[in-house]
Amino acid sequence: MKLARYDVHALTGAYAVNAIDDEFEREKFERHMHRCQQCAGEVRDLTETAGRMAFGVSRPPPPGMRDSVLSAVSRTRQLPPVVDHRKPRARHWWTGKLPMLSYSLATATVGVAIVLLISLIGTRHELDQVRARSAALAAVLSAGDSHAVTQTISSGGRVTLVYSLRKHAMIVTTHGLPAPPPGKVYQLWFIGPPTTRSAGLLPGSPAGRAGPVLSSGLARGDTIGITIEPAGGTRKPTTTPILLVVAHG
Amino acid sequence: MRPAGTGPGLPEGKDRDLDRLLARVARGDEKAFASVYDQLAGPVYGLIRRVVRNPAQSEEVAQEVLLEVWRAASRFDPSKGTAVTWVMTIAHRRAVDRVRSAAAAAEREQRIAQPPAVGDDVAEAVEASLEQERVRRCLDGLTELQRESITLAYYGGYSYREVAGLLGSTLGTIKTRIRDGLIRMRDCMGVSW
Repeated sequence: MKLARYDVHALTGAYAVNAIDDEFEREKFERHMHRCQQCAGEVRDLTETAGRMAFGVSRPPPPGMRDSVLSAVSRTRQLPPVVDHRKPRARHWWTGKLPMLSYSLATATVGVAIVLLISLIGTRHELDQVRARSAALAAVLSAGDSHAVTQTISSGGRVTLVYSLRKHAMIVTTHGLPAPPPGKVYQLWFIGPPTTRSAGLLPGSPAGRAGPVLSSGLARGDTIGITIEPAGGTRKPTTTPILLVVAHG
Repeated sequence: MRPAGTGPGLPEGKDRDLDRLLARVARGDEKAFASVYDQLAGPVYGLIRRVVRNPAQSEEVAQEVLLEVWRAASRFDPSKGTAVTWVMTIAHRRAVDRVRSAAAAAEREQRIAQPPAVGDDVAEAVEASLEQERVRRCLDGLTELQRESITLAYYGGYSYREVAGLLGSTLGTIKTRIRDGLIRMRDCMGVSW
């Protein structure tokens, strides 16, 4: 409980620099701020600070801009003051679906994950294994036809897939995925017109951050899926997939 | 409460002057607006340019923002913050809206492929001023991860999730770095409310 509170509170900085792109998360933080005077004060402080940071990148505007703004001003009616006590919604945030994570961002994420993995694992044997795996991961990432897709899962968290049909392989990373129910696992699938094959299990982690998991056997026309299955996995999916992504060529 | 005129980025007392100017703008005073323009168009344009990058688009967004300052001046509430911050918040939000929109997807890939380095851009910025020096010096005083996180989030317009992805850190780490870094910036620049 205490942890969760702290977690929300730590968003003051991200909120002040407008770096919370998840509308639900931002609203949750705003609700918290209404109850937490200290947070509201801190947000105000940090927003002021961010505002001053704009002066660090100040730059003379293009020459014609002043005239065109001033002339637009003389033609533009101003808004009346708000007399109602209800605050207008200050921001109409862009609420469309999450953009596809770009290939390069995914590359950076997975690349750094690889480096971290290597730096964390001490023994030589494991290091060799990781190196082989890194090479396999790098092969998928650097394939000319690799695609990256990030999807938000309705039960929470996000899954990023990077796949290459040419390499018949896929890399999966997850973020913030809730732990599967006790005795269950997340299982990956290649769902093809001819057959549905297991593409392995997602290792769980307390932070919901898993991967990169490398799965081979991806074929043209496959749909990539994730289901929740009994521990150890099953031969065929038995539940409704929480994610389905068509592997475009 | 905050002592008048201690905000960095502006000469002593100037930010409260701006609050008063904005109150005049709210009453339709075009001369007051021209004065606001002269004081804030540089940082507004510079910030947008940093986030959006494309000069033509940056100018478009900057014009929208400045017109919005005119249009919505009556909504500025000095009890909630300074006029400078009110204007910069609009500028940052509009710039970020522009780069986060689907239409900018292609450009966005470009931006992500080459995350900006703050030092370069600060150095390349044409307007060398005391304020700029101060921000820069304060940025230099941060830890590397704090500086990178804040730079990507504020000057780069990335969400903290994206920053976490770019830096290969956890969300919790990035949240903390942004907050700690801003607190340090606040103390260094002497912003208080």
